[in-house]
Amino acid sequence: MSHVVGIDLGTTNSLVAWVNNGVPEVIRDRSGDALVPSVVSVGEDGMVFVGREAQRRLLTSPSRTVYSVKRFMGRGIDDVRDEAALLPFGIGGEPGGVVRINVAGRDYTPPEISAFVLKELKHRAEEFFREQGEFDFEVDRAVITVPAYFNDAQRTATRDAGRIAGLEVLRIINEPTAASLAYGLDKTKRGTIAVFDLGGGTFDISILKVEDGVFQVLSTNGDTHLGGDDIDNILVQLVFKEIVARARRSLGDGGSGARGGPEASAPRPELVQAIRKAVIQAKLDLSELDDAEIIVEPSPDLPDGYRRRITRAEFEVLIEPLVERTLGPVRLALEDAGLEPRDIEEAVLVGGSTRIPLVRRKVADLFGRPPHTELNPDEVVALGAAVQADILISGRREMLLLDVTPLSLGIETMGGVTSKIILRNSTIPASGREMFTTGVDNQTAVDVHVLQGERELAADCRSLARFKLRGIPPMPAGLPRIEVQFQIDANGILSVAARELRTAVEQTIEVKPSYGLTEGEVERMLIESFEHAEADFAARLLIEARNEAETVILATGKSLRSPDLEDVARTDLKPGELDRIRAALADLEQVMTATDRELIHEKTHALNHATQHLAEVMMNRSVREALAGKNVTDV
Amino acid sequence: MSDPIPRGVRLQPDYASDAAPECRTCGAGAPVDEHFCPNCSRILALGRHGDYFAFLGLPRRLTIAPQDLEQRFRDLSRKFHPDYYYNAPPAERLASLERSSYLNDAYRTLRNPVSRIEHLLAIEGLPSAQSATGTAQVPPALLEEVFALNEELDEIREQRESGADKSALGTRLSKARQPIDRKREEHEQQLAELAARWDSQEQAPAGDRRATLEALRERLLERNYINNLLATIDREVSSLQAGDLQ
Repeated sequence: MSHVVGIDLGTTNSLVAWVNNGVPEVIRDRSGDALVPSVVSVGEDGMVFVGREAQRRLLTSPSRTVYSVKRFMGRGIDDVRDEAALLPFGIGGEPGGVVRINVAGRDYTPPEISAFVLKELKHRAEEFFREQGEFDFEVDRAVITVPAYFNDAQRTATRDAGRIAGLEVLRIINEPTAASLAYGLDKTKRGTIAVFDLGGGTFDISILKVEDGVFQVLSTNGDTHLGGDDIDNILVQLVFKEIVARARRSLGDGGSGARGGPEASAPRPELVQAIRKAVIQAKLDLSELDDAEIIVEPSPDLPDGYRRRITRAEFEVLIEPLVERTLGPVRLALEDAGLEPRDIEEAVLVGGSTRIPLVRRKVADLFGRPPHTELNPDEVVALGAAVQADILISGRREMLLLDVTPLSLGIETMGGVTSKIILRNSTIPASGREMFTTGVDNQTAVDVHVLQGERELAADCRSLARFKLRGIPPMPAGLPRIEVQFQIDANGILSVAARELRTAVEQTIEVKPSYGLTEGEVERMLIESFEHAEADFAARLLIEARNEAETVILATGKSLRSPDLEDVARTDLKPGELDRIRAALADLEQVMTATDRELIHEKTHALNHATQHLAEVMMNRSVREALAGKNVTDV
Repeated sequence: MSDPIPRGVRLQPDYASDAAPECRTCGAGAPVDEHFCPNCSRILALGRHGDYFAFLGLPRRLTIAPQDLEQRFRDLSRKFHPDYYYNAPPAERLASLERSSYLNDAYRTLRNPVSRIEHLLAIEGLPSAQSATGTAQVPPALLEEVFALNEELDEIREQRESGADKSALGTRLSKARQPIDRKREEHEQQLAELAARWDSQEQAPAGDRRATLEALRERLLERNYINNLLATIDREVSSLQAGDLQ
């Protein structure tokens, strides 16, 4: 049977985990790295890069490199216009429709971009199982996590991404709840716990009651646009303002400005990404140290570079308003659970941003106890997802997760008012029934607008879908009894069914998702993704070829810089051998940026061949020296 | 706005618990309160079940020990949850989804003492106490308080608009709230007494039981009305505070 895995599809990084003989484990690459940066880059020739390689391209090809795509999942262009201005890649889409990301002359929907990340994780897992010597190493089923506060459209978009990546999504589960599963695994826990999850782009708070192995979520709240990205943006803006101010000052001092300092209005994407990388490093440093330096290397956009010391105290003043924004959702979640902060017996931290000391202090103050930090906040969500995948497949009943729907579900009624059908924090699966009748004689259809949110007016809630109930038998107004059933499944995803009870006529429902893909679109993307599979495979082989070449180049460079080189060349090498090596090295370096994998292979082999003799000579020499050294000391 | 198709008109839900379900797996008939088929032991389709008490195996009483309710909820969750039917045939998966959803709703409704009473009234065939809110006439027992409150609120609004001292108005508002708060406490007390009476009347004549239910419904209607009054006062308080910020 093929393997099932748990996937944490994060804003910044993604991970894949599985359960090995009852113990959840994160799957790492050969170098031991568990994180796959959630970055996707499209090369000049349409080749797609994912993860670390794509992350490197943030600096060199910013307009072709997409990051933090999770913030756009299930959203419309109107929702994201403000932040789109800050991004180096193109964001578009029709008003009222899904966001489209324009990369290298092609439009991608956010689920398509996320699917590239998922495919990378799938590949990583398959590689891992293959190396374990497994015959059936295919990975085609997964549990994927989402922020607890994701709405229906965002969940559906995540499920679509899984399908486009060729994965059967067994279940969508909430990140904080997944974390609690991993956390409560080793001991028979009971009590009330709060999971505080501040990730790269989203914030969730979930309050759970754990008893008899049942993990029951009492309430959840959050902000799907609050996370480490926002902290980065504050720092980027700070640095950028200072760079502009410096440039102005130097112009005022009589500089010609011909060197083209940064413009206040439109910074080049390359510069923005260089600044972003520098501030992220400083942010990470400040979780360990009392002060750090923001260092932006000189570049054509910034000939003098930029350096600035920042203390932890300064940093905390800057980010305090953001951290404070987490407290509102926490209070609401406690209120909905009918609890006081002191009722929380344990607080668990999840998400990379909870490494920030200020965040830890705020959580400790809030609950009056130090939060748990023994789990790796980056890995715990993926581990929990793997546990849930194992529960689904094995049917074991020791543990059970009972989650809730984060937002109320309702429909628009006369006058544009929201009428709630399933209340927020209802345990899922949940169903709600609503009876309708007609308003005019012989009315044969009814228009239904499905909404998600807490506000009174329909216009202030999230539009999920519109559908029309057709085929109602003509009757006097008020006579038909149309029952509409809303069903939220265990993924937190909605479906609708309806029938007219007097005649038992089943209604046909056309659900048009407001911010989602239609079934047909997902199908088409899935097919395209298969068609691209060959190109994607080629991209991977190319990256592997480049990595191999890089290893040989580094080793050769090291030998050529050896202080003994001239001596060796004189005594041990054939005439012209060194020149041949240098030529082969130059050859390989020249083709490194090419996309012809065979060419890179060929040149790598050539260099390897050319250096073989030198390597042997150098090796013998160092062995002789070592032995000689030994003899000397022995005497 | 320019919708060619009119929106539907909402109706009150009905609590028909007629048709006994049929096992989708073996076709045998099953009693409405069974969760699993007595014949083939597969999970049963929900049918048109309407009684949350019976569903959870509880007598139709208003006093429920919270721990007992939670324990039943967890035990049934372990039996119904879709997690455990992932590999089951579609009919059983659907039954698991329906039954879990219904269980969650039953637990949520019975956990809260007020919605518990509302559910009892519904399954005993009384009209909903919810439907009357908003457009309802003032319940006779509240006439005096409502009259006094409305007069006071009108005056406070007038004075607020003519720029009177905010803190004095705030004090008047909280004073106006006091008799309503007292009424509400009285009602909680009365509801508790009536609930206890209902629980003791299992063997009582139908007429007496009916009278208790009518009284419960009466109190709920009043309670809803009182809550609306309190909400009106809260709105007044917040418009006073909003004025402060300007």
